[in-house]
Amino acid sequence: MVKKSKRSQMKIQQTAFMLIAVTLLFVLAGVFFLGFKLSGLKKQALSLEENNALLLVSKLANSPEFSCENAFGTKRTNCVDEDKVMALKNNEGYAGFWGKSNIEIRKIGSSEKECTIANYPDCDVIKIADGKQGGAYVGNFVALCRKANVNGYIEDKCEVAKLLVSYGVQNG
Amino acid sequence: MGRKNKAQEEMVGFGLIIALVAIILLVFLWFSFSNSKKETVQSYEAESFVQAALQYSSECQDSRGNFMDVEDLISACYKKIKCSDEKDTCQVLNSSLATILKDSWKVEKNSPIKGYEMNISVNGEGVFYAKEGNSTAESKGAIQALPTGKSAEIVFNAYY
Repeated sequence: MVKKSKRSQMKIQQTAFMLIAVTLLFVLAGVFFLGFKLSGLKKQALSLEENNALLLVSKLANSPEFSCENAFGTKRTNCVDEDKVMALKNNEGYAGFWGKSNIEIRKIGSSEKECTIANYPDCDVIKIADGKQGGAYVGNFVALCRKANVNGYIEDKCEVAKLLVSYGVQNG
Repeated sequence: MGRKNKAQEEMVGFGLIIALVAIILLVFLWFSFSNSKKETVQSYEAESFVQAALQYSSECQDSRGNFMDVEDLISACYKKIKCSDEKDTCQVLNSSLATILKDSWKVEKNSPIKGYEMNISVNGEGVFYAKEGNSTAESKGAIQALPTGKSAEIVFNAYY
């Protein structure tokens, strides 16, 4: 009787140890999975911010504040009115209108000369919104059009530029 | 002997559970890494580039003194119309587009862009063609038809 009871106890112990081992294995796997998921959260947040910036950059060129509308003949898509943007740059009413993103327009193949009222249009970079987000940028090609004075005549002049919107790291 | 067999069976069972958990983990890891690949060039970039390039004002003026954009130049080049200063519109189209392409898509040794290709045709006749770098397996492209009355088509591909 005693021998049988001891044997049963051994069996129960064996099963208990087995259950503990299997539970430990699953707990370890769960911890590993959770750790992996949590480490990806920061990456996911950055990816969401990038998507937001992408949405903004794709809509911005055709928004009323930027688009050429009918100022250069027929209605154009992906056309930014440079004169309008320069006026917008100095309008304090639009401070923070596009959130924390930096928004700038860079003429392709040009220098880093920033546009101000004093040097416009002999400049290459228009910084429209100076938000807190720096770091990475997403961009979209646009036609940057303005009315130019050529030998006393007003002519339409369009250049290829890149509209850039920042996302990610906040600068203070 | 029976006891030894039972112990062996339990060991095999435990091994199977470990193998199962390992396979699940591997599948999970594979999915996590395969989804995280980011594309260097997005389709909207290629499309917006073609649209913006078409609106670029060249140095060629038409008979009324207006600067012709690339879209007008394509049509003028096909019809063999010259600029007001007798410059060849096809030459202006070539030089303008080559500069825009070179400045917009930098193909360098360590650059993410490996190459690009642009082909413009009107009624099946080639008006402009440019190719730089290598044609890799991964690319993003844009096709744009022009409302010129003729069947004009622009095909652009950026390789990365």
